[in-house]
Amino acid sequence: MKSSSRTFRAMIPVSVAALVVLAGCAGGGSSDSDKPNDVSTKVTSKPVTLNLAYTDDPPTNALIDAFRKKHPNITIKAQQTPFSDYVKSIKLSMASSTPPDIAEYNPGAMRALVPAGLIYDLEPYAKAYSWNDSFPASSLEVLSSDKKAKEYGTGGLYAVPGALSVLGVYYNKDLVSKAGISETPATLADFEADLKKVKDSGTTPFSLGGLQVGGFQLWNALTNSLGDVTQYRDWVYGKSGSSIETAGAKEAAQKVSDWVKAGYVPQSANATADSDAQADFVNGKSAYLITGNWAASAIQKEMGDDVGFFLFPQKTADADKIASGASVAFSISSKTKHPNEAAAFLDFMSSPEAAKVQVESGFMPVDTETAVETSGVLADISGAFKSVVEDNGIVPFPDFAAPDMIDKLTAGVQGLLSDKTTAPDYLASLQESWNSFHE
Amino acid sequence: MSDDVTRVVPGRAQVRLGTTTAAVRTRRRTRGRATALLYILPAAAVYLGFAIWPALNTAYLSFVEWDGISPSTWVGLENYRTIFTSPTLGPALWHGLVLIIFFAIIPCAFGLFLTALLQGGNRRGMTAFRVIYFLPQVLPLVAVGITWRWLYSSDGLINQGLDLVGLDGITRAWLGDYDYALIALGLIGTWAMTGLCMVLFLAGAQKIDVSLYEAVALDGGGSIRKFFTVTLPALRGEITIASVITTIAALASFDLVFVTTNGGPANQTTVPGLLVYRLAFNEGNIGAASALAVLLTLMVLTVITLIRLLAREKA
Repeated sequence: MKSSSRTFRAMIPVSVAALVVLAGCAGGGSSDSDKPNDVSTKVTSKPVTLNLAYTDDPPTNALIDAFRKKHPNITIKAQQTPFSDYVKSIKLSMASSTPPDIAEYNPGAMRALVPAGLIYDLEPYAKAYSWNDSFPASSLEVLSSDKKAKEYGTGGLYAVPGALSVLGVYYNKDLVSKAGISETPATLADFEADLKKVKDSGTTPFSLGGLQVGGFQLWNALTNSLGDVTQYRDWVYGKSGSSIETAGAKEAAQKVSDWVKAGYVPQSANATADSDAQADFVNGKSAYLITGNWAASAIQKEMGDDVGFFLFPQKTADADKIASGASVAFSISSKTKHPNEAAAFLDFMSSPEAAKVQVESGFMPVDTETAVETSGVLADISGAFKSVVEDNGIVPFPDFAAPDMIDKLTAGVQGLLSDKTTAPDYLASLQESWNSFHE
Repeated sequence: MSDDVTRVVPGRAQVRLGTTTAAVRTRRRTRGRATALLYILPAAAVYLGFAIWPALNTAYLSFVEWDGISPSTWVGLENYRTIFTSPTLGPALWHGLVLIIFFAIIPCAFGLFLTALLQGGNRRGMTAFRVIYFLPQVLPLVAVGITWRWLYSSDGLINQGLDLVGLDGITRAWLGDYDYALIALGLIGTWAMTGLCMVLFLAGAQKIDVSLYEAVALDGGGSIRKFFTVTLPALRGEITIASVITTIAALASFDLVFVTTNGGPANQTTVPGLLVYRLAFNEGNIGAASALAVLLTLMVLTVITLIRLLAREKA
């Protein structure tokens, strides 16, 4: 313990020292250099090599392979960094004198890279390729921000999505039908009635990873159902004067506490990691699990046809579908020598060929029009996703709202789960963090 | 530099030895000092480059506002003000102090107890005991943390054991319990640190003169008397070292907390090291992270000085 924690403390200053040197070399992007010149949708026919930094795979490598088939002269050299180091390393390498041409987008890193002018505002390419038509609007909105990277959903476009994700409810078909439930719930009230039936049949309704992100994703899903979507979106984007202390968010937080008391969420949730919650669900210890499509292939592999997926239900059956979602997205370095070729890679994400890769690797396709054959739970998810996109109902995750929001969300929901924090106190702690970043 | 090296070739120095005058002696002393410095240089350079310079740089960074990329701006004591007014600091420092009980005090006491049991002649299986108790020190704490998370889970081994002896009323997911998480976390530290203390104390006890124990025995003292009269005073040095090492581990703990509770539930197990990490890597606030790191270092130094003063006064 001693030596490793010491090394850790010693490492911060070392990497920090490296940053100083590199930042000095970078010299900062001037304001003219953050939009590409000579924008063209034509790519060269000469051999070109692009470097790409990423952390998520799948889908990145499969997308690169598919792109290569279309443009054999463009070689993409990909460099993967584990997620835990990605934010640090991408900031460093984008600021260096030889940055990768394309980098996987990360909201934490971009808060520093956008103001420094190190990644391109892609607006000219968006116009040239008409990305506003080929990408779902909500998926681009979340990747645009003002020049200070404080407010999202406005200003320039800094990345485009290469694969999309959506949050929903997985259910164990066997356990649910044993509880006497024959169809997926149409409203939140239906869902609560189902939870009671499952509980009465002797099964714990939810597995929940309260130790990590699972806890606040439950609150997030409830807020999407009970709250006002515009208020929520504005708050996450950082629109001036927004607040999360709304009636809907409060009701959602209260429901988290109530569901623990009713026994729908296990007492042990706060000590459960997301992977443990998923393992419990897969092993039939619970009937429901709230998580995203990224877990689909692993869950299907274990459970086969015994698992289904539905969107967390809204208050009324005919309400617009709302669900949180994110994307694996890509940005272009403002120092690249081949901006047009890099942009061609980004444009490729909305192609039918990419859609096939995206679905096969367990993600949602950017181009929702392309029919890709799926079966089982993957078919449930793509159907659900399509209906949310049609209602323009994909909203960002709440940890997007401020750099330290994820800690406030995790700790706050843990307080709700252990009945030590009240719903208003929880929301006040989120708003305090929001205010200190945005105001 | 290379010139110096040729001049201090032993053969030549010896030749001069015969004709030593005061002036030559002084010159040789200077040269000798230069040689000594030259020998120190490699180690000193590594130490300066990787310990002193980063530490000074951290101190400098604690006075600037910096996100890691953009140019930094001098903000004076602003970062320290941020740290001191942050509502998360107080509880984190308190948790660090509580962990001293579990990381330092209990392991030292337990280590002494084991030493008293194991010392004195070659008991059978001595090596086995040493290996078993020292094993936690060898394992990486990240692996230890994940294993303990499972042991502590709602259907883990510890709760199964409690069920078995009829204590099923108190079973819970210990690391997720609002009131018990910090204690559960501390006990992992106790488990990890006890072996280290014991091995240090056993090594110290081996150098105690056996005749001292015989003297106590002649005076009619039993093994408890022997322990308090002979062993305990003889181990003062080892106890100081063990206390210092384990106290640093408690105050500067990070990895164990990071993998077991990550500060949860509801910030009941946050420690200063975890806050440094969050400030630097989640929030990109390098200045405030450095300020907290400086503060933590000062706190560790203060506590260590206190321990050493206490040990000296007793002498």
